[in-house]
Amino acid sequence: MMAIHSVYIVSKSGGMIFNYDHNFPKVESEKTFNFPMDLKLELRNKKLVVVFGQRDGICIGQTLLSINGTLVNGGQMESGPDALEYLSDETKFPVSLRFGRTRMTTNEKMFLGSMFYPLYAIASQISPEPHSSGIQVLEAETFKLHCLQTLTGVKFIAICDPRLQGMEIILRKIYELYADYVLKNPFYALEMPIRCDLFNDNLKVLLETIERTGITNV
Amino acid sequence: MTIHNLYIFDRNGTLMYYGEWNRKKAGTMNKEEEGKLVYGMLFSLRSFLEKISPLDLKDNSFCYRTSKYKMNYWESPTGVKFVMNTDLSSPNVKDLLRLIYQMVYVEYVVKNPVCPMGEYIHSELFAQKLDEVVKSSLIYTSKTS
Amino acid sequence: MSRQSTSSRITADSKKVNSELFVLTYGTLVQQLVKDYESVEDVNKQLERIGYNIGLRVIEDFLARTNYPRCTDLRDTAEKIQAAFKMYLNATPSLSNVTADEFSLVFESTPFGEFTELPDACANLKYCNVLPGVIRGACEMVQMDVQAYVIADTLKGDNATEIRVRFIKKLHDALPAGED
Repeated sequence: MMAIHSVYIVSKSGGMIFNYDHNFPKVESEKTFNFPMDLKLELRNKKLVVVFGQRDGICIGQTLLSINGTLVNGGQMESGPDALEYLSDETKFPVSLRFGRTRMTTNEKMFLGSMFYPLYAIASQISPEPHSSGIQVLEAETFKLHCLQTLTGVKFIAICDPRLQGMEIILRKIYELYADYVLKNPFYALEMPIRCDLFNDNLKVLLETIERTGITNV
Repeated sequence: MTIHNLYIFDRNGTLMYYGEWNRKKAGTMNKEEEGKLVYGMLFSLRSFLEKISPLDLKDNSFCYRTSKYKMNYWESPTGVKFVMNTDLSSPNVKDLLRLIYQMVYVEYVVKNPVCPMGEYIHSELFAQKLDEVVKSSLIYTSKTS
Repeated sequence: MSRQSTSSRITADSKKVNSELFVLTYGTLVQQLVKDYESVEDVNKQLERIGYNIGLRVIEDFLARTNYPRCTDLRDTAEKIQAAFKMYLNATPSLSNVTADEFSLVFESTPFGEFTELPDACANLKYCNVLPGVIRGACEMVQMDVQAYVIADTLKGDNATEIRVRFIKKLHDALPAGED
């Protein structure tokens, strides 16, 4: 399925005012390990991350989520012991470890959303051609990011499957929803984070319709 | 199709080479400053990509498009970064960057004992070979847009 | 979806509000302000401020719906404001006295003022003073600083109601990245 993974809105002053994860793939796997482990883990940003080694879909960059069903947070098991110490103790093995792609916290998302603002501006500044916009499409092998900047300076950003066509139209549709369900809500204060259920609901319907029937039907 | 310019950065982000072919808008700053700005931006962009990507990234390449140009990024496993700006219609720039790495960078910088690593490349031979590879590429020769 | 396609919304909107109710709502609002404020000048100011706040938001709806590009000169802006009046009020002001940095929107009668008669105590009331506010707010959001004010009013015996708009400056600092 040609999924749309998430939608961000960045205000004209650069703050992220909205994020919605729509069809975010959940990458997780649980495997049994014997001592010594064939994966190297390190604590990074309060998360135990695989830095070397891979097996059964577990690869570099993924985070250790739980040990024998006990959640791991900030390098510590919920039951108390330090996770790395626990895993260096041969007597605890075999253990069942669950790994997944690092999920972002709300704060990290806020940070990322706001980070796009200067990137967009510099892309325009370093252009080899005159009168260039900022980043409209950002493409990596796993996804495509589309950005629509309105004349008023608001940025609508969607992250989706690289094969999905017609994202510009979808972003304009989201702009319309924003004009309706956010700006016409008199209790929404401009530039502030968007907390409007009606907007969320309508956005969800729009994205689901596109995924089900394609762009031509919206 | 058009190739505008090329930046090569070493693993630490030092500008090793800058070349331009069709650049219509002159930079407002000198080469070193612009190199720093471009590198800083791409460095942030890469970490942005890694975090925002719904799946694990496997390949060290990406590109972006604005209304006027396309930026193509490819990084060797040793961390040498090749950044080429082209027009919007140029395809497979990644392959050209890999070719520049193989045929020009490795041959005329890595294998040239008097060419110091981690510094700006002043070798004329390098510049000449790079120019040859770029100008013989399909992207450069093709007139269709 | 509750929304219809963009093109049909520009020309004809089926989501209609009874205009009588709208005129009544506006009239009550103005009258309440007159009651709440001591001076008519303050009421004018409040109306303009309300309009400004509407303008800040309605511009996004206008752009989302029309997909118009950025204006190139003041005549362009004037024509778009004219189109917006048609879209939102079904009013068709004419443009007059268009110069490089000023223009007028002329209405045959005062918008929302169909049934209004100004009492003597309100001789200085600018009844439709939300409209200049809307124009100022909307233009500010697309990085244009303008001044807008009512210079003639049928409620005061003028032949037509006229809103004069004066261009002050482009707000270059507020221009979004990648636009020059």
